[in-house]
Amino acid sequence: MSKLKQLFRTFFLVDLLEGLWVTFRNQHPKHIYTEQYPSERPQVAERYRGAPRLNNNPENNETLCISCNLCAIACPENLIVVGWERNPETKRKDLIQFTYDVSRCMFCGLCEDACPVDALELTQDFELASYTREGQVWDRQMLEEGPYPVKYKS
Amino acid sequence: MSTAETFLDSSELVLNMGPQHPSTHGVLRVILKLDGEKVIGTECVIGYLHRGVEKIGENRTYVMFAPYVDRMDYISAVSNGLGYCLAVEQLGGYVAPPRAQTVRVILTELNRIASHLLWLGTHALDVGAITPLFYTMREREEVLKIFENYCGARLTTHAFRIGGLQYELYDGFEDQVRVFCERMLTKLDEYEELLTGNRIWVNRLTGVGIINAADCKRYGVTGPLMRAAGVAADLRKLQPYSGYEQYDFDIPTRVNGDSFDRYVIRMEEIRQSVRILRQAVERIPTGPVMAKVAKVLKPAIGEAYVSVEAPKGELGYFIVSDGSLHPYRMRVRPPSFLNLQALTEMCKGALVADVVAIIGTLDIVLGEVDR
Amino acid sequence: MPEEPKPAGPPTQMASTLWEGDLPTTVKAAFGERLLESACYVNQNFFVVQADAVIPLIEFLKREVDFDFLVDLTAVDYPKRAERFELVYILYSYSRNERIRVKTSIADGVVPATATTVHTTANWLEREVFDMFGIRFAGHPEMKRILLPEEWVGHPLRKEYGITQMDNNWVKENLGIESGQ
Repeated sequence: MSKLKQLFRTFFLVDLLEGLWVTFRNQHPKHIYTEQYPSERPQVAERYRGAPRLNNNPENNETLCISCNLCAIACPENLIVVGWERNPETKRKDLIQFTYDVSRCMFCGLCEDACPVDALELTQDFELASYTREGQVWDRQMLEEGPYPVKYKS
Repeated sequence: MSTAETFLDSSELVLNMGPQHPSTHGVLRVILKLDGEKVIGTECVIGYLHRGVEKIGENRTYVMFAPYVDRMDYISAVSNGLGYCLAVEQLGGYVAPPRAQTVRVILTELNRIASHLLWLGTHALDVGAITPLFYTMREREEVLKIFENYCGARLTTHAFRIGGLQYELYDGFEDQVRVFCERMLTKLDEYEELLTGNRIWVNRLTGVGIINAADCKRYGVTGPLMRAAGVAADLRKLQPYSGYEQYDFDIPTRVNGDSFDRYVIRMEEIRQSVRILRQAVERIPTGPVMAKVAKVLKPAIGEAYVSVEAPKGELGYFIVSDGSLHPYRMRVRPPSFLNLQALTEMCKGALVADVVAIIGTLDIVLGEVDR
Repeated sequence: MPEEPKPAGPPTQMASTLWEGDLPTTVKAAFGERLLESACYVNQNFFVVQADAVIPLIEFLKREVDFDFLVDLTAVDYPKRAERFELVYILYSYSRNERIRVKTSIADGVVPATATTVHTTANWLEREVFDMFGIRFAGHPEMKRILLPEEWVGHPLRKEYGITQMDNNWVKENLGIESGQ
């Protein structure tokens, strides 16, 4: 009996038709997942760990960074360099320079976990390509302003 | 086969497969010794992706090394992270809080599904079925979205920290997992419709790359390969960790140990993972997600070997501590490495085209083989 | 983070406790003086034996007590000890659902016996130990490097090998660049 059934299936290509039915069903537009990048830009998650950013205080536009160097210590790849100077008047450390080598970064998020004042943050920007290796070493200005990806019109 | 009396010299032919061959899933070079189309000997040349993870481990602190383990088996990074965190916790005497343990189980099982889905898609592609790849990638995307929402990264997640979790769950996590479970089961039936009854698929895999239970033990093979050979070996059941003993699930086994059985085992494992997910997501306890772990983590002098059931097999970490900030020795027992060792045994007498199918069902990740 | 190889210091003492039970008694009866220690640390049991007793012990454990699965084989480098390398064999028994370790110490240059005669698994694992530490195993079917190129000089997991160190000649010759860094 099963032999006969098998023969029937073989002769009428039932396997093939079953498979084609599956592929046919999946043609429905609601099953389409392809994103039309770059004309249609994906919405990445809120917690996405992308381009680093050095936050400024929105009220007076001064940096939030207190030059504590904890991010540099926490970084496994040792790619953060914090340059600071002791301000003789306020007795505080003033941030002079902040270098972040994005080319070696693995976006593990340990630096933002270590930051006590939420100054360093990994943001939702994910377009980090550049033409040179040097372009991947971000200075303080770049970190505060963020990358400038080209916007394509749809 | 004697060569002397034949007109055409049928002596052995040495064929290089790889290191850049699409079916080797990375940079694996297999030197095949052929007699006609029959494989009479194989030799694997590995190490193209060697990055010295164990050496890096000795030069980083315990906390800093965690992101590196994600880069060994990069398609199941969460399992790697879980194993590493459990090993350091064992060494340092920490226990993750119950909430963290449950979330860890959920993410690890999601990762297992993602890993098996990627395997299914690429393996089907290797043996000639192109369509499943698009579908499995689509479902895998759902898992990666959950990871992205939870910890901000899709592939190399760095989701767990020593002592628990860094991130609290986001709103809608449970619902997203529930929806995924529902969807996954219907989609699995769809894959089975495409493949399990497909005569080409069945004929291509049945009886190919047989390895029996005794050989599995001899060669150190673990994971789905061993279960396909009939040994119900799963560390989640044998030596439960992270609260796996609370969940009701089965260890699927088959008897033949051929490529088709390995396919069936992995499909069944996805179903079992969904079962675990459904139980776990209903009982996420409240409470803290992080145990009290010293900021400067210095485990006492000693050593520990902790292993978890990664999607590929037994993934173990052997850590020796000398009481300092850095591990004194960081040894990783990679499942892919030892599974690959059995390739020689499995390829004996196979045809050249079958080697592709065998490497496919081994489910190796070269990042883990070479470390 | 640190670029320099960290100063290597052997652990002075592991706070292990004595491992008591049937298995240590059986092994003690069979091996006597050659079994140096049977201990337990964080609920993980291990034997420490003399170097010449390792393979007989593994074989004994496989034959008599059903530890039929070699999980892992690795080495640890303690440059300050007289017997520099510690070989670690991790064994598992499916019937007993138990995992144990067998450890031994050997000096640099000593050629220990291979475990491939007992467990075929050891083949690649011993090759990796040779590759990383430079320990040769006597009787191994194919004692050559596995992860690094055949002509590479040096064994990276030895403690004196720096984290950024490499075989510069090999890199120059084969890759045509000055340095891999």
